[in-house]
Amino acid sequence: MSKKPTAQPALHKVIMVGSGGVGKSALTLQFMYDEFVEDYEPTKADSYRKKILLDGEDVQIDILDTAGQEDYAAIRDNYFRSGEGFLCIFSITEDESFQATQEFREQILRVKNDENIPFLLVGNKSDLEDRRKVSFQEASERAKQWGVPYVETSAKTREHVDKVFYDLMREIRARKMEENKTNNGRGKDKSKKKKLKCTIL
Amino acid sequence: MDFDSPDVMKDFPGLYASELNKQCNNDSDYSDENEKAMKKDLIGKRKEKKDKDKGYAALEGESSADENFKSRSPSKTKKAKSFKFSTKTKEKRDKSREKEKDGDKKKDRDKKNDKKLDKEKGKNEKTKKLKQSLDETADIGDILPIFGASIEVAVERSRCHDGVDIPLPVRECIDYVETIGISFESVYKISGTKSKVLQIRKMYNQRGNINLSDYDTPTITSLLKTYLRDLPEPVFTNDLLIRFEEAGAILNLNTREKHLKILVDNLPPYNKLLLAWLITHLHNVSLNEKFNKMSKQNLSTALNHTFHCSSRLLHALLHHCPALFPNTRIERYVPPLESGAKLPEHPVEIDRELKKQESLLTQIHKEMNVCCISKQREELLWEVQRIITQLKRKLKSANKDKEVVEKVEVVEEKEEVKEESQEPSDTHQKKQNLSSVPECQCEDISPVDIEECDVNTESVLDNTLALLQLKNDGLHSLRDSLLKDIQEERNQILMLKSQLTPEMPPVMMIPNENLDEVMDLFLKENQILQIKKINLVRQIIEEQEMCIELKAQIISKS
Repeated sequence: MSKKPTAQPALHKVIMVGSGGVGKSALTLQFMYDEFVEDYEPTKADSYRKKILLDGEDVQIDILDTAGQEDYAAIRDNYFRSGEGFLCIFSITEDESFQATQEFREQILRVKNDENIPFLLVGNKSDLEDRRKVSFQEASERAKQWGVPYVETSAKTREHVDKVFYDLMREIRARKMEENKTNNGRGKDKSKKKKLKCTIL
Repeated sequence: MDFDSPDVMKDFPGLYASELNKQCNNDSDYSDENEKAMKKDLIGKRKEKKDKDKGYAALEGESSADENFKSRSPSKTKKAKSFKFSTKTKEKRDKSREKEKDGDKKKDRDKKNDKKLDKEKGKNEKTKKLKQSLDETADIGDILPIFGASIEVAVERSRCHDGVDIPLPVRECIDYVETIGISFESVYKISGTKSKVLQIRKMYNQRGNINLSDYDTPTITSLLKTYLRDLPEPVFTNDLLIRFEEAGAILNLNTREKHLKILVDNLPPYNKLLLAWLITHLHNVSLNEKFNKMSKQNLSTALNHTFHCSSRLLHALLHHCPALFPNTRIERYVPPLESGAKLPEHPVEIDRELKKQESLLTQIHKEMNVCCISKQREELLWEVQRIITQLKRKLKSANKDKEVVEKVEVVEEKEEVKEESQEPSDTHQKKQNLSSVPECQCEDISPVDIEECDVNTESVLDNTLALLQLKNDGLHSLRDSLLKDIQEERNQILMLKSQLTPEMPPVMMIPNENLDEVMDLFLKENQILQIKKINLVRQIIEEQEMCIELKAQIISKS
C-alpha cells in the first residue's frame, strides 16, 4: 500500500458494446459529465478517461464507446483486444437489441479467448417501463447462463449508471490481482522457457 | 495478441520470413519471383551506377546502408544478360504492379525489400528475431517497413498527418536540414555515421519516437540519402527516367524547361510531390551556398547516385526549380498533439488538429488490421481516440458559442435596421404627409406610406405637420448616421477578416499552451464586451430618439 500513492494510479480499460441506439453514448456521457443527451447521433468511436475513487483507491478509467452500427465493426474489433472489461448494453424497449447481445458476447469471447473476462449485461432505458419489451426475468436468465451480473440502468435518470461502471471496475481489479499472483508464479517459468529458446537459436 | 500467427512466429522464428511471404501471397505465387525481381532491381541500380561511373569515375560512393547488398548482387554475367531485357520486363512488371494496387501486392513487394534488408543485416537478424519473440508481437518494422517500400506505400505507412503526402522520414530530414543544417559546410557531401543511420532507419521502420535533433547533420543527410537509395525504383520512375535524362541534356534552356515540366507533370502524384519537395529543398540549400559551400553543381555531383540519375539532370532540375515547382513551399511539420498537451481553442485550429489525429488514427487501425502492434502502439490508439473525442466535443461547444455570438450580432444589426424602418412608419402613424419618406431605404414600406399619407394629407393640421416634419428630419439624420456606422463596421469586419487569414499560420507555430489560455480569455472578454456594446448602442439610439422628439417639440412650441 505504501507504494501506491507514488505510483501511477491503476488504469482500467472498459469497452461499451451493444446495438445502435441502445444508449451506450448516453450512459458514457452521463457517467463522465453528468449530462443526458437527448438527440441521437451515431458514434463511430469515442474514448474517455476519468479519475475516480474506487473503494478509497485512486484509479483511472478509460472508456471506449464503440459504434453500434456494423459499418464500423472493423474499427471496433481493433479495440476489443485491449479491453479489460465490457459493458454489454441493450435497450429493454427493444427485443432485437437484446438478441444482439448474444453475438457481442461471442465476439468478445472469441477475441479475448477468456470465459471469465469482466463483463456486465446492462439493460438500459429502465425509465421507459411502459414500453418494456424485455422482461427482467428473461435478461437475468441470460446473464446467469453466461455467469455475469445483470443490471438495469437509465441514462436519463442516472439510475445505476455509476453502479455498472464501478461494479465492472471492481471485477477488473480483482481479475488483475489474480493474474498478478499467477504471473508471479508463472513469470519465472516463462522467462526460463524463453532463455532456453534463445540458447537453442 | 493471442492470435495464431504471432505464436507461430514466436515459436519458429526461423520460419518467420517465408511464412509471412506465404501469408501475403494467398492469391499468387509471386514469392518465387521475389528473388528474381529483387535481383533485377539491383541489376537496374548497378546498371545505372555503372553508366554514371563512366562519367564520374572519380566519384567515390558515400558509405551507406545498401552499399552492402549492392556488392552482394548477382554476378556480372547475369547482370549483362538481364541488362538488355531489363527495361522491357521491368516495364511490364511495373505496369502490372501499378494496376494491382491492392494491399497484397504491396505487402509482397515490401516483403521483398524486407528480405533485402534482412540479408543485408545478416548477423543482426538473429537478435532481431529474438527480440520479436520477447515482444510477443510480430515486428512491424519487418512486416511493414517504410524504408525500401515504394513511395506510395511509404506515405501510407508513415504519413505526415497535415496532408502533405510525402513519407515522414523525408519530411523530418528536410525540416532538420532547413532549420539546423542549412549552413553546415559541405552539407549532403559529408557522410554520417553509418551505424547511427541504420539505427534511425530501424526506429522509423518500427514506428518509434525519433528525435532527429539528437543527431548531427551528416547523419541526417545520410539518412535521407539512404531512404532515396532504398527506393525500389528512382523517384523519376523507371519508365520516365530515360526521358528525364534526355530532357536534362537539352542545351536550349527554354526547351529544356518545357520538356522537364511536361515530364514532371507526367509523374505519379506521390513521386511528383516527393521530387518537388526534394528539389525545392536542395534549391534552398544551394541558395545558402555562401555558408555551406554547396552550389547547385556541387549538390548535383554529391547526390546524383542517390537520385539514380546523372548529375546533369539533377543540376537542370535545380536550375529550373522555381519554374518547375512554383507552388511548393517547404513547411515545417508539426506532428499531432500528444495526450497531456493543451488542446487548441480556436475552431479552425481544432479542426486542423482533428484532421491530423484522425489521419493518425486511421494509420494505426491499418497497422492493426495487418498485424499485431506493440503495446505502446495500442496505448496510442486509445490516446488518439481520446484526443479526437475531446476535440470533437470542443468543436461542438465552440460552434455553439459561435452560433450564439452570431445570433447576437444578427440581432444587433436587425435592431438597427428595424429602427430605421420604424422611422417612416412612426411618422406615418402620426398621419403625416412626408415627401422625404420615399427616400427611405425600406422600399417595401415606403410606397404604402406614400399612398396612405396622400389620403391623409388634407386632414392634417399645420401645427402638427411642422412638429412631425422636424421630428422626421431628425430621425432621418439619425438613420443616415447609423447607416454610415453599419457600413463602417462592415468594412472593418472585412478588413479584420482579411487580416485574420494570413495571420493564422504563424499563430499555429507558436507553442499552444500560452496561446490557448490567452485566446480563451480574449474570447470570453470579447463576448462580454459584445453584449455590453449592444446594450449601449440600444441606449444611445433610444436617447437620440428622445432628443429628437424633445427638440422638435421645443422648436414647434417656440
